[in-house]
Amino acid sequence: MKFEQRDIPEGINVTQVHPLRELAVLLGGAVLLIVLLVYLLGLSAGFLARYIPFEMELELASSFSEETKSEGDIQRYLTRINDQVVAAMALPEGMQITLHYNNDDTVNAFATLGGHVVVFRGLLEKLPNENALAMLLAHEIAHVKHRDPIVSVGRGLTISAVLGLVLGQSDLGVLGDTGLYTLLHFNREMEREADREALEAVYRIYGHTRGADDLFRVLQTYREEAGGDDGFEVLQTHPLDWKRINAIDSLARTNGWDVEGDITPIPETFFSDLKRSEKSSEE
Amino acid sequence: MIELIIFLVLMTLGYLVGQYAEKRHYESIIKREQKLKNLPTIASRFPPPGKRLDQQLVMGSTVISIDYFKRFIATLRNLFGGRVTSYESLLDRARRESLLRMKEQANELGAEYVFNVKYETASISKGRNNTIGSVEVLAYGTALLRPSEAP
Repeated sequence: MKFEQRDIPEGINVTQVHPLRELAVLLGGAVLLIVLLVYLLGLSAGFLARYIPFEMELELASSFSEETKSEGDIQRYLTRINDQVVAAMALPEGMQITLHYNNDDTVNAFATLGGHVVVFRGLLEKLPNENALAMLLAHEIAHVKHRDPIVSVGRGLTISAVLGLVLGQSDLGVLGDTGLYTLLHFNREMEREADREALEAVYRIYGHTRGADDLFRVLQTYREEAGGDDGFEVLQTHPLDWKRINAIDSLARTNGWDVEGDITPIPETFFSDLKRSEKSSEE
Repeated sequence: MIELIIFLVLMTLGYLVGQYAEKRHYESIIKREQKLKNLPTIASRFPPPGKRLDQQLVMGSTVISIDYFKRFIATLRNLFGGRVTSYESLLDRARRESLLRMKEQANELGAEYVFNVKYETASISKGRNNTIGSVEVLAYGTALLRPSEAP
């Protein structure tokens, strides 16, 4: 018997695939899967969240408390406009709006769980007329009416829970972020719907839609001045301002709503009240 | 955002360094395999009949770990299934390196053959999280040496 060592050919136990090619194929597939998963989850969670009773949403939001003290005059004026808007919007039974004034420079307003709408002093100071204020409140109330806060919370929780479960603590956690980008798109849909509903409310209150687009002009001007995206995360999910202005213009035209009319000014005392409230916050 | 940057840096580093190390290692393996070509390593348990040779255990062991890039590809493979090609070359290198170390030891002893060659693989990290995934590959066999002194 003879024993000898023979050369073994190279590459028997190694598959010759370029690692970058492998990465591209796998990563592409994974991202596609996750986007699909997030889309389906978002769709179904959003669909189901609408059926959560509003009372339950109130309970969820019961821990939410906003400081609204000693702003009597401001609150009174805002409540008056708010009541007009609510009356014009035909909210479902049991749905109540709680308006909060926040004494802060932030140029923003938002609606959250439980029908709570928060407006910041920074934005109120910039509003040119009551019509724009009504548009702003109507927009936020429309979010509540459409159940947008509970839908986005439901969506967000479902998606992060499932992605957390599937991807876990592995290296693929990075891929979970791709899910967040698709969420932005859903929100724009909501914003468009809220704009539409709000414009209708403004038309019902004033008999015309003039001044409603001033709200977006104010936001646009502010954004151009600010230049950056500092503290603007919430508004960035909104469609571009000029697109919104065009959209509500064409909406008014197709519905035959009057786009001309008398603008209702905001009483001067309201602005002086805002100034006083700003000073009191600085002290 | 910062997480994404860290991820990309680790991936790039893992890829570049890992590929470079692998290329150099294969060059070294092929060169040393050529050098030790004349020392046969045989899986048979029975030495050639008729020869009276001394026996000695020889072994070579390698511990390998993975780079970030290879591990990421392997994790992705978890989703889809299929060949984990990024681990294949790594384990191939470990086996050949272990065998070479064993042969180098046998060569120093002046062995004619190494019989009954076996491999053993042990996972060091045992699939635990937050540890470096590493595997030990051990090659061992019986070196047959020409008798040092006449009986």
